[in-house]
Amino acid sequence: MALGRVFIANRGEIAVRVIEACRGLGIETVAGVSEADTDSLAAEMADHAVVIGPAAPAESYLDIDAVLGAARSAGADGLHPGYGFLAEQPGLAQACAEAGIRFIGPDADIIAAMGNKLAARARAQALGVPVVPGSPEVRSRAEAAAAAAEIGYPLLMKAAAGGGGRGIKIVAGADGLDVAFATASAEARAAFGDETLYMERYIANARHIEVQVLGDGFGSVIHAGERDCSVQRRYQKVVEEAPAPGLTDELRAGIRAAAVTLAKAIGYQNAGTVEFIVDGDAGCFYFLEMNTRIQVEHPVTEMITGLDLVAEQIRIAGGAPLSVAQEDIAFSGHAIECRITAEDAATGFRPCPGRIGDWQAPAGEGIRVDSHCRAGTLVPPHYDSLLAKLIVSGENRIKAVSRLQEALAEFTVTGVDTTIPFLRLLTCQLDFVRGGVNTRWLEGNLESLKGGI
Amino acid sequence: MELTEEDVLEILRLIEESDFEYFELRSGDLNLTVSKGGYAPAGHAAAPLAPPQPPQRREEPAAAEAPAPEGPARGPADRDGLAPIVAPMVGTFYRAPEPGAAPFVEVGAPVEADTTVGLVEVMKVFTSIPAGTAGTIAEVVAGNAEFVEKGAVLFYVTPGAA
Repeated sequence: MALGRVFIANRGEIAVRVIEACRGLGIETVAGVSEADTDSLAAEMADHAVVIGPAAPAESYLDIDAVLGAARSAGADGLHPGYGFLAEQPGLAQACAEAGIRFIGPDADIIAAMGNKLAARARAQALGVPVVPGSPEVRSRAEAAAAAAEIGYPLLMKAAAGGGGRGIKIVAGADGLDVAFATASAEARAAFGDETLYMERYIANARHIEVQVLGDGFGSVIHAGERDCSVQRRYQKVVEEAPAPGLTDELRAGIRAAAVTLAKAIGYQNAGTVEFIVDGDAGCFYFLEMNTRIQVEHPVTEMITGLDLVAEQIRIAGGAPLSVAQEDIAFSGHAIECRITAEDAATGFRPCPGRIGDWQAPAGEGIRVDSHCRAGTLVPPHYDSLLAKLIVSGENRIKAVSRLQEALAEFTVTGVDTTIPFLRLLTCQLDFVRGGVNTRWLEGNLESLKGGI
Repeated sequence: MELTEEDVLEILRLIEESDFEYFELRSGDLNLTVSKGGYAPAGHAAAPLAPPQPPQRREEPAAAEAPAPEGPARGPADRDGLAPIVAPMVGTFYRAPEPGAAPFVEVGAPVEADTTVGLVEVMKVFTSIPAGTAGTIAEVVAGNAEFVEKGAVLFYVTPGAA
């Protein structure tokens, strides 16, 4: 049964994005906002807005009882979690199911199964999807040392409950293993409440390639192509694009097929992303993890396929079959997204909350800006620093890069420092213009880029 | 005649082998800037940066002229002989390295200038707070997980050899 009233359990640009998708589908919206967000664009745009708690995320956007209580009293029959916050907490999906509210995402058991990165890895391996050579759970320093001898250095020590780049340590050699094991377990326990660790070979020339998948409740699972998110700083994505440049047809087809294989095997419902590492030297790919939510970078897929992934999510949650079959999905042109954050790149990306003065976003053919900001918007210090996503498309990658540079040149924000000046420099670097950089490229060029600001 | 993507990539190969540090390509609707290294001169990539933002955000001098605002932002310097440790930025103050852990310091704790006494989190980024003055913690002013303004007093230190 199609949804009639959707509760948005998130903030910022993704809350706005969900409200717009609901409007397009003729669905009423209720924005659940913290006390810091009562004047936000989402609160203004939604049909109703309710305060779910204080500014501190732990007492509002991260509080399952507060979110669910507000959704119930608002009479919502669907709940969109956005990304981050509670989006991948099985507890919220479970609580929604018990309250008779459709969670716009997969069921709690699928979120839990993919949330444990070690279990997801084993699942992929059992399906014949390649995984990075590594260990199962390592429970002691002795086990870690034995596994390290087999994997070789350098290697990555990862928290099983981590993901999204959190809970990862690089171990350069045997003499760093003991310290890495101790600190990684302590940090994993503190951050995720689970100290389980595993280890993987460190792939030096790696690209981060991920595949958008969609599944419905009728057994259909399709992919909407891949995205390349290799431009990263501290494991956080900065620029994303689709399709991934410079992959062989064989590699591209193999990655897409592996993503569908995994999603089908677990009975995946709703939108999800299967992440892979492509080893640029060996020319092969490995499964990394699966994200059971809409991704920040979903617009680049929308720009080259014409799909509305958020609307598709809402329809699937409402019990509809996928609106498209695999053969209906056609890829056209190239799209690139930049994350514009309230940070000052020149001073080590210091966060800069405050009130936005002037806000002039670019517009025009092939330009899309997803944002919750306007002139005068107060950027609160309590949440992450994403202000806007600038997405451009062009008939090929070079034209998209050209358009991106022009759009960044036009984008003017005053009052808070933003990464726009940094992105202007980044996007005109020869390596980036040519395409296909690896995940270490940005960190390796940070100093010279910062010097240019 | 419009340049194809292959033409442009070929040009990029030539640039890479050349001594050019900076290059602009205009052809049809293509308006591409290419730079080797951080250098980006007068072209459109750099022009919009030209007027650096005036330092108008939360300046120190304003605080010196006007009294500290009422409310949670407790102004420094109202304790004889004690040195305040203030928040370097707006954010959430934490007294311990992680939830449930012991606080970095309690009253009576000896501190060096570089001893970490707390953390301030802003937009998910944690910054450690050094004592700044060697001595002994005399008073803990801000509570754990309390939201603090820039310049708010977090602790008072009795200066002296730790």
